[in-house]
Amino acid sequence: MIDKIAFLFAEGLKNFLRNKLTNFLCVITILINFTILGTFFVVGFNTDSLVDFFRSKYTFEIFLNDEVDLKQSNTIVTDLKANSAISSVMLIDKEKSADIFLKEFGENVEDMLGYNPLPISLKISLQKDNFDLKKIELLIDEIEGYNFVDSVEYRGAYIDSIEDRINLFIFLFLVLVIGIVFISIQMISNTVKLSMSNRSDFIEILQYNGASNMFIKIPFFIESILQSTIGAFIAFLLVNYSFIVINSYFNLNIQVDDVLWAWMIGLSLIIGIYASNRAMKRILL
Amino acid sequence: MVEFKNITYNYSSKSGIYDVDLSIQDNEFCFLVGPTGSGKSTFLKLLYFDLFPDKGDVRVLKYLSSKIKKKDIHRARKKIGVIFQDYKLLKQRTVYENIALPLHINGIGRKKISNLVNEALELTELSRYSRKFPNELSGGEQQRVCIARAIVKNPDIILADEPTGNLDPTTGHKILRILEQINKEGTCVIMATHNYKLITEKPYRVIELDQGRVVSE
Repeated sequence: MIDKIAFLFAEGLKNFLRNKLTNFLCVITILINFTILGTFFVVGFNTDSLVDFFRSKYTFEIFLNDEVDLKQSNTIVTDLKANSAISSVMLIDKEKSADIFLKEFGENVEDMLGYNPLPISLKISLQKDNFDLKKIELLIDEIEGYNFVDSVEYRGAYIDSIEDRINLFIFLFLVLVIGIVFISIQMISNTVKLSMSNRSDFIEILQYNGASNMFIKIPFFIESILQSTIGAFIAFLLVNYSFIVINSYFNLNIQVDDVLWAWMIGLSLIIGIYASNRAMKRILL
Repeated sequence: MVEFKNITYNYSSKSGIYDVDLSIQDNEFCFLVGPTGSGKSTFLKLLYFDLFPDKGDVRVLKYLSSKIKKKDIHRARKKIGVIFQDYKLLKQRTVYENIALPLHINGIGRKKISNLVNEALELTELSRYSRKFPNELSGGEQQRVCIARAIVKNPDIILADEPTGNLDPTTGHKILRILEQINKEGTCVIMATHNYKLITEKPYRVIELDQGRVVSE
C-alpha cells in the first residue's frame, strides 16, 4: 500500500514536471484569481477595522440642566456607568467646558459675559462589542426624557449611514469573492479537462491495465495540489509586498492578516481539488 | 472461464457480432480468425468489458456483463492481460516502467516488482532494452514489451488483438511462440488474427468469425 501511495505521489510530481505548459497556465490562472481575491481579503479585513474604528468613536454628549449641581452630576455618572452598553463616562464640569471653549474659540467665556453659562455635560463612550445601534437610540431617547437633561447630542445617523455603506461594500465584496471563486473553479476545471484530454491515451492505457478511477485521479489531484499551492503562494507574496509598498508610499496603515497565506493556500487547495474532481468526473464517468 | 451466451452487439454501422454462443476453458489456447470487420476485436472488447452486449450475457472468470458495475470493471481487468495491435505503450516511460505499470496498479511492492519485471523481460528477451524508450525499439520489440506488460501481473486470461498484425512473419512466429509458452504455464490465451498462415499446423482451437457470426469451430 505504501509503495502504491509512493508511486502515485511520484506520478503526480513527474506529471507536474512533464506537462510544463498546461501546469504553467493553471498556475497563472490561480495566481491571477488569487491575487484579486487576496487583495479583496486585505480590503475586507481592513473594512472590519474601519467599522471598529467608527464604533470606538461612537460617543454622545449629555448636557445637563443649569439646576443640576456637581454632586447630582456624579450620581448620574454612577448610574450611567452601570449600563452595560456604556464603556466610560466623562464628566465635563463648568470649568472644563470653559477651558474647551477657550481652546476652540480663543476667548474666555467668563471674561466675555461676566459669568459662565456653559452647562455641565457628560461625554459617553460606548462598548464596541455587542454594539447595537437600536439599543443605543432607545437609551438616548430614555436619557432625553429625564428632567435633569437639557439636551443630548449624538451623530448616530451619520455613523449609521457610514456603517450602511460599509455593509453594502462588504456585501459587494462577498459577491465578488463568490464570483472569483466560481471563475477559478471554471478555469481550473477547464485546464484539468484540457490536461486530461491531452493525456487520454495515458488514461486509456491505465484503464486497460486495471486501474481504478481513484488510481487515475490521484496523480491529477497531486498536480492540482501543486498548482494551487504554488499559484496561491506567489499570489500571497504579491499581495503582501504590494501592500507593504502601498503603506510605505502613501504612508498608510493597511493591515495584512497574519494568516492570509493560510487562507489563500487553503482556499486554492479546496477550489483546485473540487475543480479537478469535477473535470475528472465528466471524463472518467 | 469465458462464456458467451447468445451474444449480440450491434454498432450503429450495422456491424458487430450476432448470436454468438460459446465457451472457452481454463488453460485453453484459442485463435479467433476472420477477415477485417468480421467482429474479432468486438469479441475481445466484450471480454475486457470495453463493450457490453445488446443481448445475452458474457461471463469472464466470475464477472458477468449483465451484473458488473462500471466501478468494478477494473477488478476484472486486473485478471486480464490485453495485447494490442498498436501496442498502447507509454512513450515517455522506459520499457521497464511500461512493464511495471500493471504491478503498480495492483499495489505490489517495489522489490517484488523488480523481480517480476525482470522475469517478464527475460521471457520476452527484452532484458537489454529495459532502459530504452518505446520509440527506440522496432515494432516487434514494442509488441514484446506489450506482451511482457500483459503477462507480468500473472493474469488468468491473455487477450491478444492482432498481435502480429504489424510484424514480419519471422517476428510474428516469435511472438506466437512466447504466447504458447505463456499458455503452457497455465494462462488461457485468446488471440485474434487474420493471418491464417501463422496458425496452420497449430494444434489449437480455431473460432472463425464472418460478418459477426461464428461460421466454424
